[in-house]
Amino acid sequence: MTDDYDGPILEIESLSISFFTRLREIPAVMDFSVKVMPGEAVGLVGESGCGKSTVALGVMQDLGKNGRVVGGSIKFKGRDLNTMSQEELRQIRGSEIAMIYQEPMASLNPAMKIGRQLMEVPMIHRGSSEKEAYDRALQVVTDVKLPDPKRILDAYPHQLSGGQQQRIVIAMALMAEPSLLILDEPTTALDVTVEAAVVELVKELGKKYGTSMLFISHNLGLVLETCDRLCVMYSGEAVETGSIKDVFDEMQHPYTQALFRSIPLPGADKNARPLRAIPGNFPLPHERPPGCNFGPRCDYFEAGRCDATDIRMAEVPGNDRHRTRCLRFQEIDWQAPMEAGDTTLKSEPGRVVLKMDNLKKYYEVAANALFGKRGDTKVVKANETLSFEARESETLAIVGESGCGKSTFAKVLMGLETATDGQILLDNRNIESTPIEARDTQTIADVQMVFQNPFDTLNPSMTVGRQIIRALEVFGIGTNDAERRERMLQLLDLVKLPRAFADRMPRQLSGGQKQRVGIARAFAGNARIVVADEPVSALDVSVQAAVTDLLMEIQREQKTTLLFISHDLSIVRYLSDRVMVMYLGHVVELGTTDQVFAPPYHPYTEALLSAVPIADTRVTKKHIVLEGDIPSAMNPPSGCPFQTRCRWKSQVPGGLCEKDVPPVRQLGDGHQVKCHLSDEQLASMEPVIQIAAE
Amino acid sequence: MEPLNWFEIITRVFIQFIPVWVALVVVFTLSMVYKRRLGLYGKLFDSTIGMIGFALVMFWVFTGIFGAMDLIITHDPLSQVSGMKNKAPGTPLAGAEEGYYPYYLFGGDNLARDVFSRMVKGAWVVVQIAPMATVFAFMVGITLGLPAGYYGGKLDTFLSFLANLILAFPVILLFYLLVTPEIVDTGIPNYMAMVLFIFPIIFVGVLLNSRYRTQPKVRTPMLIVVLGIMGWLYLSLISQPGTALKLLPDAVDLFNLQGGILVVFVSVVFVNSPTVFRIVRGLTMDIKTRDYVAAAQTRGERPWYIMLWEILPNARGPLIVDFCLRIGYTTILLGTLGFFGLGLPPESPDWGTTINDGRRLLQVYLHPAIVPAVALLSMVLGLNLLADGLREESLRD
Ligand SMILES: Nc1ncnc2c1ncn2[C@@H]1O[C@H](COP(=O)(O)OP(=O)(O)O)[C@@H](O)[C@H]1O
Ligand code: SF4
Ligand code: SF4
Ligand SMILES: [Mg+2]
Repeated sequence: MTDDYDGPILEIESLSISFFTRLREIPAVMDFSVKVMPGEAVGLVGESGCGKSTVALGVMQDLGKNGRVVGGSIKFKGRDLNTMSQEELRQIRGSEIAMIYQEPMASLNPAMKIGRQLMEVPMIHRGSSEKEAYDRALQVVTDVKLPDPKRILDAYPHQLSGGQQQRIVIAMALMAEPSLLILDEPTTALDVTVEAAVVELVKELGKKYGTSMLFISHNLGLVLETCDRLCVMYSGEAVETGSIKDVFDEMQHPYTQALFRSIPLPGADKNARPLRAIPGNFPLPHERPPGCNFGPRCDYFEAGRCDATDIRMAEVPGNDRHRTRCLRFQEIDWQAPMEAGDTTLKSEPGRVVLKMDNLKKYYEVAANALFGKRGDTKVVKANETLSFEARESETLAIVGESGCGKSTFAKVLMGLETATDGQILLDNRNIESTPIEARDTQTIADVQMVFQNPFDTLNPSMTVGRQIIRALEVFGIGTNDAERRERMLQLLDLVKLPRAFADRMPRQLSGGQKQRVGIARAFAGNARIVVADEPVSALDVSVQAAVTDLLMEIQREQKTTLLFISHDLSIVRYLSDRVMVMYLGHVVELGTTDQVFAPPYHPYTEALLSAVPIADTRVTKKHIVLEGDIPSAMNPPSGCPFQTRCRWKSQVPGGLCEKDVPPVRQLGDGHQVKCHLSDEQLASMEPVIQIAAE
Repeated sequence: MEPLNWFEIITRVFIQFIPVWVALVVVFTLSMVYKRRLGLYGKLFDSTIGMIGFALVMFWVFTGIFGAMDLIITHDPLSQVSGMKNKAPGTPLAGAEEGYYPYYLFGGDNLARDVFSRMVKGAWVVVQIAPMATVFAFMVGITLGLPAGYYGGKLDTFLSFLANLILAFPVILLFYLLVTPEIVDTGIPNYMAMVLFIFPIIFVGVLLNSRYRTQPKVRTPMLIVVLGIMGWLYLSLISQPGTALKLLPDAVDLFNLQGGILVVFVSVVFVNSPTVFRIVRGLTMDIKTRDYVAAAQTRGERPWYIMLWEILPNARGPLIVDFCLRIGYTTILLGTLGFFGLGLPPESPDWGTTINDGRRLLQVYLHPAIVPAVALLSMVLGLNLLADGLREESLRD
């Protein structure tokens, strides 16, 4: 083996990959080139469906039955993978190129102990002895910072949390000491604080082992944190490649620019500096426009030129290996400020419409499902003393990671569950113990919900129009079918969808369009309180901006109270008036957006802020990595819920954090935190995010 | 006249089936032309397996239909022609008069009846009973499986236990019990029919009520009409003169099933519905976690609307596949029943009964049993291939 090879590890040149379906050929990747040098981490960013995963699978030569490389070459250490035999490929795949997928369980065998799975790698590829393999497995599990490595080796995959599983997958990839690691959205399925820790780990291990990496992500912030260079893809083509610094600060392609303008960076504000969504839709692979793929959505489009011929990558003079696929990049004034969108006046919150007072929701679960005796139950405290008020036309963000009780809270509010204790006042009427069947139509129509997963939010076997009309029927709007149909069409107008969509089936709509239908359905009965459960987190960044803006606009017009559940602090900072941070069923911090995003913080908020990747080179963040995972709500820690991961704990005297649940502390102006830290300690906190002066 | 040789027999059979060939060609041409607009059915025509299965099934369906119209058959399936007893395929009719088909193409059976015509007529019996019985089994399975999966808990435990109990019971023994005269006299099959056949009414009633709950003006008349008609059909179906259940006076009793057929229906529904129940229950448990179900709950929909309009339509893929397979099982079951002389009347031309008739002289005369056996085999094979094709195609794109 050419171990003294010192050229590029991976060199993809003019690669084209197509999938062949019975209807047509789908060109998924076209004329794609990228080079990964030893020890270098290259990011591949773009919206879903732009061909990122296909490139990765192409490198693995694993395109399935109907995929084929139709042009170009993929050289790994100088040898073309396209021309290798199956045997050679197998050799390389296991030991020199490793791949990590989004879903950790996809790479793990559920029926085999972790240790065995790890040991197989060197035993098969190197013929190591059992003893050697075990030692090596122990070594990598320690390297990926899992607690108690011996016990982990003896566990089955399902006994670990998602974050731990992903660490094991990384450990498995590292067992073979590959020279190239391909990561396809490795942290998308994880919580933010866990994601931050995994990313940190990947970076560290890359350095330690000198592994080159191809890091696929849709998150620009994450790429900024992990990679040296990046390649922006759009609709099957690379549109811009270069070093992180060049692409982030001196972008030379209109798509890259539009992408950055559509994500909420610090400084964006829903009233004064709204985001700019990219107009139009992503073209389907078989409906690409002639000439520049980005043409129909590009602000700088020039008819007769941009749509005339295929466009080649061109070198940007003066920069290091910085290339762009735009005819006009030298004519565009890249420094010109973004033309201000429509600025709006901040709407004043009105009277209190919703009030929660010491709301508690406990679930009783059988401690042992199989042999549980009567009375042998455990109590899960999903919501612990929730108190807050929400006003008319106010946006209250509820922030927290999985298991913090956001969904339970939404269920209780909607009436799908009844509260264990405390009260919910809607217009001063108690509704905490009225289940949804017992609520009157008006109450139900008043409190509605927008769901997270666009692919799940609409009934796949009913037309879009029919689903909205059904909501109108249930809410008793309109006296006959014609009136309801008219109202349904108006609702489609409201969410800016063409009226023709009324007769479409959900599968004919894109994710963003489905989410709009979901919004139309929620507003069918003129809802006054809308709970939006991560409404944009599953959408692509450019679509996120459009859907968020739509939600804001409707809210402004209808004076809706929006309860915006999210784990994405960037978007929360952009659109909310007040923020409530939850952890394991407790509200740990509550205040206006400015109060929550500036010190003093609750220690958990501080960590959360540090974990969120920000796609801005000017931002410097304090580095706080949380150890371990979120504890299970079945088995919460004693005392402060955050004490297992808190870095401030040692500053509280007398082990108070482990003994007592901290009281709610008022810090003035309605800002409250639940923490034992003294006022001086809180005051000593430094800001996590700092923006360097221009 | 000389007996026909095999080539001549095949040619003549081919000619007899001409209406079926024409119908098949028409169906296939139309489906191929419009396949992109026909949803899952259209996609079937992309799969060779599926097409072969569909062709086999449709062959027997058309044979049944045209046979019922007396098109394909060469002789009356019940009439006996002297001298034709157990004659070999292709034997000419001794002293055939003008207007009679001059040959027994597939020979004559034990009672000197035409095997070919009996096979064709038998197709009609099978094509009618098997799908109908399966539909009833689905109605029962769905009506019970949806709430079991949706509510879970004690209801689910109870119904699942019941289903397992029935599944654990030997099918043939059950049939023997059901047709034993002593048991028939107690009216047990009729009472079972009463219970099982009420499910379609419940199903349709709940389906319409949940959909039009918000518009009482439309709902009430619609329910009265639909349930009225179904109720009448139901009462006609279960009330039999001379049995324990005589609910309707003869004047308004629309039809009476032959006693045997009712028992066949009851047994088939009884043994098939637990399996359908389990499939529906599993699918429901999976689909009820989807956001669109939560969306329906949060807008205050009633549970039955959610089960029937939000969950059931999205479970249709696996259910359609299982429906095809189950028609196949039912066909075999009917054959088995007929073979044991249970259920259908002895002179019925259905394949199971015919095989049983031919069985006694099997060592001497093969053809009376082998012809219906091949027919049964090809139809079940067709249904299985069709199910495979549908499964494969519904998974793609
Ligand atoms: N097996 C396949 N058959 C047909 N088309 C496919 C297949 N896999 C991917 N595609 C298409 O190729 C394009 C690129 O997909 P993909 O590489 O998965 O994008 P990304 O990873 O950027 O989200 C998409 O339009 C997708 O629909
Ligand atoms: S080539 Fe033209 S349409 Fe394409 S990105 Fe450049 S300016 Fe826009
Ligand atoms: S109470 Fe203690 S453990 Fe909890 S957040 Fe405050 S300092 Fe950390
Ligand atoms: Mg992908």
